[in-house]
Amino acid sequence: MKGYKGFVLARCNVGAKQEKSRSLGKGGYEMNQIKKIVQSKQMVTFAWIIGLVAVWEIIASYVEKTKRTPDNVLPHLYQIVESVFSPDLVNGSQTAIQIVLSNAGITLFRAAIGFVIGTAIGFLLALLMNMFTAAEKIAFPYLMIIQMIPILGMAPIVLAITKDIDTSRIVIAAILTFYPVATNTLAGFKSVEKEKHELMYSLAARKRDIYKKLLIPSCMPYFFTGLKISAPMAITASILVDTLQGGGGLGCMLSQSLKHAMTIYVFWQIVFVGAIIGILSYALMTLLERLVSPNKKAKR
Amino acid sequence: MVGMKNTNDMDNSYLNNDMSATGEIGSEITIENLSIQFPDKDGGAPVVALQNVNLEIKPGEFITLVGPSGCGKTTLLRTIADLQQPTTGSVNIRGKSPREIRKEKKFGIVFQNPVLYDWRTVRRNVCMPMELMGIPKKERTARVTKMLELVGLYDFGTKYPHELSGGMQQRVGIARALAIRPEILLMDEPFSALDEFTKEKLHVDLLRIWSKTKKTIIFVTHNISEAVLLSDRVVVLSPHPGRVSAIVDIDLERPRGLEIKDTDKFNALVSKVRNSFEGV
Repeated sequence: MKGYKGFVLARCNVGAKQEKSRSLGKGGYEMNQIKKIVQSKQMVTFAWIIGLVAVWEIIASYVEKTKRTPDNVLPHLYQIVESVFSPDLVNGSQTAIQIVLSNAGITLFRAAIGFVIGTAIGFLLALLMNMFTAAEKIAFPYLMIIQMIPILGMAPIVLAITKDIDTSRIVIAAILTFYPVATNTLAGFKSVEKEKHELMYSLAARKRDIYKKLLIPSCMPYFFTGLKISAPMAITASILVDTLQGGGGLGCMLSQSLKHAMTIYVFWQIVFVGAIIGILSYALMTLLERLVSPNKKAKR
Repeated sequence: MVGMKNTNDMDNSYLNNDMSATGEIGSEITIENLSIQFPDKDGGAPVVALQNVNLEIKPGEFITLVGPSGCGKTTLLRTIADLQQPTTGSVNIRGKSPREIRKEKKFGIVFQNPVLYDWRTVRRNVCMPMELMGIPKKERTARVTKMLELVGLYDFGTKYPHELSGGMQQRVGIARALAIRPEILLMDEPFSALDEFTKEKLHVDLLRIWSKTKKTIIFVTHNISEAVLLSDRVVVLSPHPGRVSAIVDIDLERPRGLEIKDTDKFNALVSKVRNSFEGV
């Protein structure tokens, strides 16, 4: 806690120096400084972090006093950080972080395959729905229903069909991915201005060229919005479906840890590693978008 | 191959068509008894956008359609471009229908908005129509360079549209329309969204480009002074229903510069056009 406060104060000082060099009159200087600090985005982030840490620690201390199980289910943050670097083996051969990372690899691999399949299906579906109005009318309202079924309800059905837990994990990641991709891409196709279509018409462009040169490039921002929504979703779904059966993966370890078959620190490490992977998957999509649409980079 | 055709062939190709149905030698576009009605959305009487329009446009002529909103000037342009179908009457372009001419890719269209593809650089925007026409890459590159030099944007070839000003974007649109070597250039209020200074600069540019390329230009505007400055003839359209109420010959000498706007003759012509409107 002290560390955070010190850091915040240091930031204030830096801000004050910058302000001093810029502002001419001394009057209103204090007000401006305060306004600036309150408005800065980093300050808001810091306030959130400090708030969350404080709440966490208060509850952790409370839980510590009333503990009934061998491990404190809500450990202090420093204990979690410690556990990451702890060399103690938790299942006979691996440390906690080794377990988490190796299983994260398994989960991420399944999520990635599902995500790629789902993206391909979603994009093709959007193309079909845009090309044939009938396809849109038949498919679009019902696609939403698939999205409404809870994953945990869908998982046993998919498992019964595929008869293989690993395959069904991939299938479910794909199912969750395709819908945001399909709807966003379709919205992208529909958003193309009438004049751009008229330009293509006046040039007697073939349908293939209209898609290649106009519709597909202009739907890219929408397509990537879909990817940014579904990438973390595919990972979350993958972890969730892991919990249903064995065979490795973050979800498996997560449920074992929660049932005290393994130390609780594995659970908390998974929570944080999962969050980091989710954020990274989003960042990866942003990076991909910049590679695909170079004009976007200049805009920001 | 159509696209490869040099503009100098224009007169020859016209002569090849002198057996056409109209038989009107010396006319590039013939519009006869053209009426256009739009069905009323609430089931009422149809809206008459254009009523009984007759017009002949000569090859290489700079003609302006001028009128207030609702006079059907854009509808008339769109009908020539095959973006709108006539209710009755016909548009004949060298003995062919607008559709045939469109399929031959002989229209260059400049819209009110630049309609640029923001994911393409300036060069690749100008290049796009030529890609559709299957023009070889070497030829495309050469033409893009030439067109960008013509509109004064050679140094901006690698920029993206959002990095350019409105006037520059519109010039890219003009370069793109000219790059396919169209025989008819259709311009739908291309400068109406620009400020007065940029507009005047583009007027000078357009006059220069036209004198170099000798295309037939049909230019739609609601700005009378712009119409008089640019064109050989001004077609005055009046609204409710949209109709041609006068055609004013602009016999100002060419080449024209902005200084011509200060002459009495110019102002007399502006007044003449203004006084030709009916029911406004």
